[in-house]
Amino acid sequence: MLRLCWAGTERVSFGFPPRVGIAERWTLFVGAALSVCLGVALVQSSLLLLITAATMDPPPGLSPMAQMRFDDGRSAAVSMLGVVMGGAAFLAIFIISSTFAFTVEQRRRDLALLRLAGGSRGQLRRLLLGEAVLLGGLGAGLGIPAGLGVMAVHAWLMRRMGFVPDGFHGEWRSWIIGASLGTGLMLAVAGALAAAHRAARVRPLDALRDSGEAARVMTAARWVFGLLFLGGALALMIVAPHGGPDGGQAMAMNVPLCAAVAAAAFGPLLVPAVARLIPAGAGGPLGSLARANLRDGRRRSASVAAPVTVLVALVAGQAGASASFTTSGVEQLRRATAADLVVESSGPAGERIAAVPGVAAASTEIELPARATTGDADERETDTITVLVVDFPAYAEIHPGSAALRGLDPRTAATGPGGDLAAGTARVELPGLDLGDLPVAAGVPAAASGGADLLLAAGLVPPAQLAAASSATFVRVQPGARPDLTAFGTVSTVDEWLATDAANRNATSNKIMVLVLGLGALYALVGVVNSVVIGAAARRREFAEARVTGLSRGQVIRSALAESSVVTVAGILLGLVAAAGAFVAAMTSTAAITGTATLDPPWLLLLGLTGVTLLATGVTSVITSWSATRERPVALLGARE
Amino acid sequence: MTTTVDTTTAVSLRGVTRTYGRGSAAIRAVDDVDLDLPRGGWTAVMGPSGSGKSTLLHLAAGLERADAGRVVVAGTDITDAGDQQLTELRRTRIGFVFQSFNLIGSLTAEQNVALPLRLAGHAPRRAEVRSVLTAVGLADRVRHRPRELSGGQQQRVAIARAMVTRPEVLFADEPTGALDSTAARTVLDLLRAMADGGQSIVMVTHDPGAAARADAVVFLRDGRVVDRLAGADTHAVAERLAAWER
Repeated sequence: MLRLCWAGTERVSFGFPPRVGIAERWTLFVGAALSVCLGVALVQSSLLLLITAATMDPPPGLSPMAQMRFDDGRSAAVSMLGVVMGGAAFLAIFIISSTFAFTVEQRRRDLALLRLAGGSRGQLRRLLLGEAVLLGGLGAGLGIPAGLGVMAVHAWLMRRMGFVPDGFHGEWRSWIIGASLGTGLMLAVAGALAAAHRAARVRPLDALRDSGEAARVMTAARWVFGLLFLGGALALMIVAPHGGPDGGQAMAMNVPLCAAVAAAAFGPLLVPAVARLIPAGAGGPLGSLARANLRDGRRRSASVAAPVTVLVALVAGQAGASASFTTSGVEQLRRATAADLVVESSGPAGERIAAVPGVAAASTEIELPARATTGDADERETDTITVLVVDFPAYAEIHPGSAALRGLDPRTAATGPGGDLAAGTARVELPGLDLGDLPVAAGVPAAASGGADLLLAAGLVPPAQLAAASSATFVRVQPGARPDLTAFGTVSTVDEWLATDAANRNATSNKIMVLVLGLGALYALVGVVNSVVIGAAARRREFAEARVTGLSRGQVIRSALAESSVVTVAGILLGLVAAAGAFVAAMTSTAAITGTATLDPPWLLLLGLTGVTLLATGVTSVITSWSATRERPVALLGARE
Repeated sequence: MTTTVDTTTAVSLRGVTRTYGRGSAAIRAVDDVDLDLPRGGWTAVMGPSGSGKSTLLHLAAGLERADAGRVVVAGTDITDAGDQQLTELRRTRIGFVFQSFNLIGSLTAEQNVALPLRLAGHAPRRAEVRSVLTAVGLADRVRHRPRELSGGQQQRVAIARAMVTRPEVLFADEPTGALDSTAARTVLDLLRAMADGGQSIVMVTHDPGAAARADAVVFLRDGRVVDRLAGADTHAVAERLAAWER
C-alpha cells in the first residue's frame, strides 16, 4: 500500500505521505505525532535522569558522614526517578496507543471506501501500520530533542527542591537515540495494531453503514483488558493492607493506574451511562442534541473521556493516597510520642536533662547515616540506612509501643520504625566506624511515619562521634512542674515540634508529587486536548447537517461544547471512581499499620484539576467546532464527499 | 471457488436467501431467489421500498454473504469465497456504483479513478486514467476534488472508477437517486452507451424513467422475484411498479 507513495511523471501521483484520506484529516495525524513526541520526550528525560542519578559520583573530599548522606540522597533520588519513569512509561503507553487507535477508528469510512475500491485486508493493515511507523518515527524524532528540554526542566525542579546537589544535570547518552526511536515506533505500532486489525476485518459495507461488526461497541479486547485491569486494581486493594508501610503505599498508588485503564476499556459502556446522570448544561433542544450525539458516538465519547479519566485518576488517586499516608504517619508519630518538650542540641544530653528537677523522663535520639549489610554469604546486600542512637529504656519510656526495647542487651541493635531491616544479623558501618556483625532484635514495629531503620544503644558508638552530632531529646515533665531546660539547647513543645515535622513531611511529599505527576499530568492534559481535536476532526459534515436543520453556527458550537463538557465530567467522575480505589487502599493500609484509617483527599487539587480539565476541553471544543463550521454548510453537504 | 463455463450469464443466483435479525424479529430480505442476468445486457431491479432490491444487489456483488443458495458472478462461484477472493473480484472483475458516490474526498478525480488499479498493484498511466474520465465527459475535471464537482459529475467519476478495471459486471445501486433530472439523464446516457458497447450492468432503481432505459426490468416484492419486463417504456414500467406496490 505504501507503493501508493510512489509517483512517476507519467503516472497518477498520490504524493507523499500516502494521501488516501490524509489531507482532510491532518489534525488526526498532528495529534498522533504529538502524542508520540511528548511521550518519548517524557520517557527519555526520566530514563536519562535516572541513569545520571544512579551513576552519580560523590564530590571528592567528602567526610565519611557526608559520603553516607550523599549515598542516602542518591538512592532516594534514584527510587523517586524510578517512580517518575514508571509513570511516564504508563502515560506514554496509554496515551500513544489510545490516540493511534482513535485515529484509525475515526477513518473507518475512508477505510471502507478503500476496501470497496478493491483494497485487501492486508493492504489496509499495511497502510495503517505504515502510517504508524511514519508518525511514530516522526514523533520520536521530534521527541528526542524535546526530551532534552523536558530533562532540563525536570533536573531544574529536582535541584530546586533539594533532591539532588546543585551541579546535577541530566547526562546525554548516545544510545538513547535508538531507545527513544524504538520506544516511539513500538508504541505507535502497538497502538495501531489492534485498531488496524479490527478496521481491516470489518466488512466494507458494514463500515460504510456503521452496522454489524463495525457498530459493535465493546470488542473482545476491551472486555479482556477491562476485566484484567479491574482484577489487578481489586487485587492491589485487597493486598495493600498486608504490604506494610512502604509496600502498602506503593500498592495503593498503583490502584488508580489499573482502575483507570479498566475504566477506559469499559468506556463505551460507562461513559454514556455516567453521562446520562449528568444534567446537560444547555437545556432544551441543544441539550438533547448533545446527549443524543454523545450516545450515538459512544466510541468517540469514550475515546475523549479516556485521557480525562487517566489524568484525574492518576493525579487525584496518587496525590490523595500519598497525602493520606503522610497524614497517617504524622498522626502515628503524635500517638507514639508521650513527651511534653523537645530539646534540640548536640550530643547525648538525655542523662543530664533527666537529672533536672521536674523532668519525669528524657530520651535523647541522634540520627546517623549508616550502611547495613545483610543476607547469607551468597546474597550479601548492602543498603544505606538511617540509625538512631538511643538509650533503650529511655526510648521505651517516651515512645509507647516500643516496650520490646526495655529488656534488650545494649550490645544488640533493634529494628526501628523505618522498617527497612528485619530482625536477624546485620553488619553495621557508621561513618568511619565499622561495628561488625550485630545481632538485630525486634524492636519497634514499622511505622507509617517511617524513620530510622535501626536503633543502636549509645554505648556502641564512641562518645566523640556522638558529641558532634545534632540530637533531639524528648522530655516528659512531672505534673505541675515547669523545668527550665534552655541551658541544654533550643526548647520547643512537642506540639510545636510535631507541627514543624508534619509541615516538613508534607512539603517533601508534595514536592515528590509535583516531580512525579507534574509533567506527566501536563502530558495527560495534552492527550485530553488531542482527543477532543481528533474527535471533532471528522464531524464537519455532521455539523453542516445540524445547521441545515435550522441550528445557527453558535448553536452548533454550543451544542458541541455541551457534549464535550458532559463527556469530560463523565471522564472526571470515572477518574474519581478509580481514585477512590486508591483512597480505599490507603485507608485499609493505614488502618492496618497504625490502627486508624486515614484519608486525606486532595480537595483543592481536585477542584483545580476539574476546572483546568473542563476549561481545556471546553476551549478546545469551541475552537475545533468553530473551525469545522467555517465553511457554508450547503457547500459541504452538496458535495457528498 | 469453481469456475463455470456458462458464458451467457453475467450473474446467476440459485435459491439465494438472506435473513436479517433473529427469532420473531427476523426479516427475509431475499427469499429463495433464482435469477439469471444476461451477459452484455442492462438489467434494472425494481420493487417497493423494503422489497430487498439493494440486498439482492449486494449479494450478487459479493458485498454480503447469502445464508443459503449459490451466487455465480462473471463465471465465478462466490458463494463460499473468502475475503481475499472477494477483494480480487472487486478489484478486477466487478465494478460498483453507489447512490452516494462514495468517492474519497482527499483525492482528485484522477486519483480516485486510478485507485483500484493502484490497489491491484498496477501503476496506471495517466493517459489511461484520463481516457476513462474523458469517456464519462470529465476530461476537464481531472484535477478537481469531489467537493469541487457537482453531484452528477461526482457520479460520473464514480462510474469511471468502477469502469477503469474493465469489469465484467457493473453493479449500480440507485445511481441516479441523488441527482437532478438533467444530471440523471447524463448518467443514464452513459450507462446506455456502455451497455450498447457490451457491458453487463445490474442496476437497482426506484425511478421508472431510469429502469426504462435498461434492456430488462426485474420486479421484486418481499424478497422474491415477482415479475419481468423487457423493452418497456417509462409508462409501462411505472404502471407495473404501481401494481406491485399496491
